[in-house]
Amino acid sequence: MIRVALPVLLLLGLPFALSDFWLFIAIEVLAFALYAVSFNVLLGYGGMLSFGHAAFFGVGGYAAAILIKQAGLPGGVAFALVPLVALAVSAAFALLIGYFSVQRSGIYFAMLTFAFQMLLYTIALKATSVTGGDDGMTGLKPPGLLAKPFYYYYFALALIAPALYVLYRMVNSPFGFTLRALRANPRRVQYIGVNVRAHQLVAFVISGAFAGLAGALFALSTGNVFPGWLNWTASATPIVMAVLGGVHTFLGPAVGAAVYVVLEVLISGRTEYWPLAMGVIIVALVLLMPEGLSGFARRKAA
Amino acid sequence: MSEPILRIEGLAKRFGGLEALGGVDLSVARGDFRAIIGPYGAGKSTFFNTMTGLLRPDAGRVIFEGRDVTGEPPHRLARRGVGRTFQITSVFQDLNALENVQVSLLAHARRNWSVWPAASAMHAGRARELLALVGLAASAGRLAGTLAHGDQKRLELAIALASEPRLLLLDEPTAGMAAQERLESIRLVHRVARELGVSCVFTEHDMAVVFAVASHITVLHQGRVLAEGTPAEVRARREVQQVYLGEAA
Repeated sequence: MIRVALPVLLLLGLPFALSDFWLFIAIEVLAFALYAVSFNVLLGYGGMLSFGHAAFFGVGGYAAAILIKQAGLPGGVAFALVPLVALAVSAAFALLIGYFSVQRSGIYFAMLTFAFQMLLYTIALKATSVTGGDDGMTGLKPPGLLAKPFYYYYFALALIAPALYVLYRMVNSPFGFTLRALRANPRRVQYIGVNVRAHQLVAFVISGAFAGLAGALFALSTGNVFPGWLNWTASATPIVMAVLGGVHTFLGPAVGAAVYVVLEVLISGRTEYWPLAMGVIIVALVLLMPEGLSGFARRKAA
Repeated sequence: MSEPILRIEGLAKRFGGLEALGGVDLSVARGDFRAIIGPYGAGKSTFFNTMTGLLRPDAGRVIFEGRDVTGEPPHRLARRGVGRTFQITSVFQDLNALENVQVSLLAHARRNWSVWPAASAMHAGRARELLALVGLAASAGRLAGTLAHGDQKRLELAIALASEPRLLLLDEPTAGMAAQERLESIRLVHRVARELGVSCVFTEHDMAVVFAVASHITVLHQGRVLAEGTPAEVRARREVQQVYLGEAA
């Protein structure tokens, strides 16, 4: 009971305790937590290392931006549609990209996802009339009260918490069991009657859809989306978060996301060499805690 | 005579210039416990992989229960009732023994697509029965990767049986075991297959194991069938003794 009640109270009470700046960071943590957890459905449960997951985070962001800026809908309507549209559009992209990518496994799967993401990056850069090109798209803040971090935090939480719950149910369902078996031994799974590629593809689509929702919610929080969201360096972010937090625990990547985002804020406020400091910290953490922060905590508790 | 459960006609497979299978015929009757023997490189594993659709045959037909299933992918064959175990033990290492069998039961019940209900209790009763059948009742909660080699082989048998196959293909079911353990292990397979009415085809190196349980033996040599018959018939064939039994004994 306490284990559920305490985090819930903490999450609900946060806006009363934090300044607008830190609340803004808290929203970023929520969005990246969903991004990292959805990414880890593939890596930690399915054993599939996507090196192009920024594609879906970025597509979600751009779907939100294009809907708000170019669909010609009244502001409130467009805004209300963002979550659904982001989920649907990124699921569609994940279906297309996933269909080709799951034909291969291991490093070839990673390279295919990487290539598709770079393709989208180029489109975001060059299709200036739709995407704003290099400048990205700005002015995406939601109307009214939701422009304030205090209220937007609750809005984001109301979408991200259920999304995480859906993913949690999924990894513990028969589908999730099969996914774990597939990570352990894809050939064996074929011989118990499972269509391995179809299974991987469905996991890929679910993962991509929720990564897209995360991207859209983050875009509304910052009010911007940039082509850099689709660049390959952005695809490293969920990998680092997942590994940092621990890939073998459902919420490990969420913990990793929180640590990563907060560290980045703290360090980048003090030195322009923050990537250097981040690099050192991540190397140390991975060497000292090979199963991530959550794996380390579990071992200490045991 | 009734339709054989498995009939293979002229199955051929080349790897570049190497002829791995040169047109193999095989007919397995319902209830058979068929051994396929042959020296290393005789084509036994390729034969298994080609008849189960993991490799595409260059020629030939595979007929299961009267239906042409040539080149069908493994998951479809599994759904038709063809199970398989592997030479290199293939269990799900980081799932526990019970979950290993549950995954197979869930797939067999076509529940592997359901994304919402909690899987942990599903088919747990049947999974425990199967574990008990192969003598692993006490190990249900252990991670498969931590089980002894012989126990992993038994677990793999339980995984395969969970799909209720009518034909089970076992690729070297006693590989990596000590002599005494091999006999126990193949007798377990034999007894369970009898109990459940599963026809079996297995490959094996150890002649003691083969002659202990096989109802029929097929000898493969350089990708072709060299001899076939009951154990007594095969033992009597001179060319078999020359290429294989002579070396092994």
